[in-house]
Amino acid sequence: MKLFATRDASPAGRGGRTGHTGSADDVGTADAPIAPDPAGRRAAGRAVRRRLAGHLVRGLAMIWVVTTISFVIIRNIPGNPVLGQYEALIERGMSPDQAQRATAALYGFLPTGSLWQQYVDYLKALLHLDLGQSLSTPGTEVTTLIAHAASWTILPVLGGTLLSFLLGVTLGVYAGIKRSGKLGDALAISGSLLHGVPQYVLGLLVLAIFTTLWPILPAGGPVDVEFTPGLNGPYLASLIQHATLPVLTYALASYGGWVLAMKSSVATVLGDDFILAAELRGLSRWVLFRYIARNAILPLFTILALSLGMLFGGAIFIERIFNYPGLGLLLVNSIGARDYALMGGTFLVTTVAVIVANIAADLLYAVIDPRVRTGGAA
Amino acid sequence: MKRLTAIAALAVVATATACGTTGNTSSSGAGGIYTTIDGSKQIDASAPINPFNPQGSTFMGYDAMSLGWPKNDLMNPDLFYPGLAGSWSVTPGQGEVVIHLRPQARWSDGKPVTSEDVRTSIGLAYTQGGSAYTVNSGAAGAAADITVVDAKTVKITQGSNRSNAFLRNVLSTVVVPAHVYGSLLPAGFWTTLKTAQGTGPAADKAKAVITGLAQKVIGFSPPADVSAGPFVLERINPGAALLKKNPYFYDAAKIVPDKVKVLNYTGNEQIWNYLVSGKLDNAPFTAVPAAVMARIKATKGNEIRKGYSPVAASLAFNQAHKPYDNVHVRRALAYLIDRGQLTRVASPEAGTPAVTTTGIHASAAKAWLGDGLAKLNPYKVDPAKATKELKAAGMVKRNGLWAMPDGKPWKVRLTVPAEFSDWVAAAKSIASQLNDHGIDATVTTSADYTLYLDELASGKLDIGFWLMALGPSPYNIYQRLYGSANGWSLLAGRLRHSPPGKDGNWMGGPEVVGGVNPGELTNRLNLATPEEQKRIVGTLAGLTNQQLPVIQLYDYVNTQFVNTTRYTGWPPAGSEALRLPAGVWMQLGMIEKK
Repeated sequence: MKLFATRDASPAGRGGRTGHTGSADDVGTADAPIAPDPAGRRAAGRAVRRRLAGHLVRGLAMIWVVTTISFVIIRNIPGNPVLGQYEALIERGMSPDQAQRATAALYGFLPTGSLWQQYVDYLKALLHLDLGQSLSTPGTEVTTLIAHAASWTILPVLGGTLLSFLLGVTLGVYAGIKRSGKLGDALAISGSLLHGVPQYVLGLLVLAIFTTLWPILPAGGPVDVEFTPGLNGPYLASLIQHATLPVLTYALASYGGWVLAMKSSVATVLGDDFILAAELRGLSRWVLFRYIARNAILPLFTILALSLGMLFGGAIFIERIFNYPGLGLLLVNSIGARDYALMGGTFLVTTVAVIVANIAADLLYAVIDPRVRTGGAA
Repeated sequence: MKRLTAIAALAVVATATACGTTGNTSSSGAGGIYTTIDGSKQIDASAPINPFNPQGSTFMGYDAMSLGWPKNDLMNPDLFYPGLAGSWSVTPGQGEVVIHLRPQARWSDGKPVTSEDVRTSIGLAYTQGGSAYTVNSGAAGAAADITVVDAKTVKITQGSNRSNAFLRNVLSTVVVPAHVYGSLLPAGFWTTLKTAQGTGPAADKAKAVITGLAQKVIGFSPPADVSAGPFVLERINPGAALLKKNPYFYDAAKIVPDKVKVLNYTGNEQIWNYLVSGKLDNAPFTAVPAAVMARIKATKGNEIRKGYSPVAASLAFNQAHKPYDNVHVRRALAYLIDRGQLTRVASPEAGTPAVTTTGIHASAAKAWLGDGLAKLNPYKVDPAKATKELKAAGMVKRNGLWAMPDGKPWKVRLTVPAEFSDWVAAAKSIASQLNDHGIDATVTTSADYTLYLDELASGKLDIGFWLMALGPSPYNIYQRLYGSANGWSLLAGRLRHSPPGKDGNWMGGPEVVGGVNPGELTNRLNLATPEEQKRIVGTLAGLTNQQLPVIQLYDYVNTQFVNTTRYTGWPPAGSEALRLPAGVWMQLGMIEKK
């Protein structure tokens, strides 16, 4: 059993009790000739294409299934959207005549025909990438609304996800290595604590601290409307300022999960033979840290990819608390308004994003872990 | 390490820049930026700048203008402040309304506001249907003809089926610029409209053509705002809208703020935050818990202006369900509910306990009924009378609990939408009070208002909460009790009554009670003279008080929040303008810089 397949003593070999891997430049070393010959490369390429085609077929089938299920569920949600809007206007003080006038034409935006006919029409439109028109924002294409909301979701959720991932993974390694020390304990406790606190509690806490007790950041909205949009300092500064609390909340809420997962993964890797060998060879602590981190992080990549896919589901509580107009808020509002087209569109985007992320994770895993690429033959 | 240093430096710069912009209002001039919220809708930055779109990025009173603005009079719904119409005249019976536009009225692009703008706006309103502009030939109060008399004068003639709501419906017309919206009306539109106002297949075809334009009109998105109001939309994002002063506004000298910022919100809690932090110069009423209200009041400059709000909350019965078909049961419940106690719990700031059940807000009831109000049954808490009523209904008491006449358990289920905190609190208070008097009452909640309304309309609920007393028009007031929710609806101008469970009739009350058809009387309110209206209101109030299709719980109080640190000149308490948007207050010269 080879312990190392490296030129420079990095742990990029294959084997060990649980297996481990290294960076891309570790692949194909003299004592572990992973790089195949041209024929082998072509075969590997064909295998990847087959793999990708299989993923795409399965992905499309899953999208169709989820679309069908969500269509049936959405159409069967009780509640008349126009009556809801009419009464909401009455409740806001509009006279019945005015409310009737304001809502009468909305019936034209409701789907007509039998459920089957509506389903067929919906699928036909989907093939043309037409998600229909919104009822709650009548006359506006659902794709426009989703694109608009997605642009606001990406900043806090992507920022929060990456920040929490980097922080969680780095500290998780320390927590794993120093798991019997005070620092390890403290990191594990912080992870458990933040993992256990619901997002909305964290959001409200952060909101209370930074907008009321110590009011240094804005309470809501994506950017101050007084600044002209564009690549100018004040606008970008306002953008960052408004995104700070949502990003912070998302990062805090996700951090615990990464720390705990990484700690657990590190604990597993620490028992591997190659770590023992590295220690026996007297490698520096920094090099050891890199060995452990690189190998322990593998399982977390799949979770990260799926998290990035779920990014398109938005962060409902955070977006609501900070009045951040992302996809989560769009979905919640569309359900409240019984906006069938918008609900369907938002579900679809989330589904597609998760499936694509899943495929990407699988393919990426093959890149970062040679065992997957070679079918686990190593 | 270099990369790390660079990232850290960037972060510091970004943070410093960001902190440097906190509270920046430098773009405003001497008049400052007036900050508020739009109580009628949340901002949707994707929505077109179009007042025909229910979610449109326009703001009534600021950049969206109507011919007039309704005063909040207790009895007369035809009292209006002038808007784009500087004056108007109306013939007896409201057969003709002549609108005189303000001579100085201009759009924000400098073009004058003309009669053609009004005519185009009316044409567009026909595509949406309802009120004065319906293609339904039989509908009462429909406009029959629109004549441009001159550049600033328009005559609108009512059809043969007259309604006393015609003037107020005409004055509520929202006016848009013909040079922006005119292309939405196809050539020959007015000829098609004439055809549609007739009968027969050609009329039906013409009606379909006109109503077929509705979606196109709603979806129309002008590239920029062209406003005849005091402000024009400068910019909008999902968090706020920024409006700047319109230099062409006919009364520009009265408008003090240079800009108006309308903040968005996703829920009441954001509005509370804005109020607590003193950000808002004013906000319309928002339900606020007592603890939050204390913090809002403690903020420097925050004040509350209270006035008349023609809305009340009630407990409505589904009379198709037993035992609520029995008036004695409804009366017994009225005798057991302490309205004062539940109002203190549910809406201490913005509600006053109903003096009794009339269908009308107490302030308006005094004006409409005069001494007659005191003659009505006040339904003061009286357990003895409740017991008598329950016995009269045949209800029996078993093991300390009231049961149905056949001995089966009587379970009172009060249903409210979960998102209405004041209704939930009121329902819990009622359930507790009824439990104390041997009635097994529980509260259930519907997930949201849309679902709640669906459950009500489909007749699933025994008892629910219902908004009522929506004045000042007496027709609007009683339409909530004796309208479509109780079986009466207008179809092609003719009133018909549907049986309980059909066509949205969930109240299930009888069509005729003691020889009176309340739906017919309600419908007559739109056609009657003021004297006759008073008689009808008296009859309906008495009938409602005796029959209790609902128990009136509390009358809402129009509670406006204002902040006096930046602006003064707010409408005084009880002002007729208090219910209008602050943009109209500015038009009336009310807001001044401090």
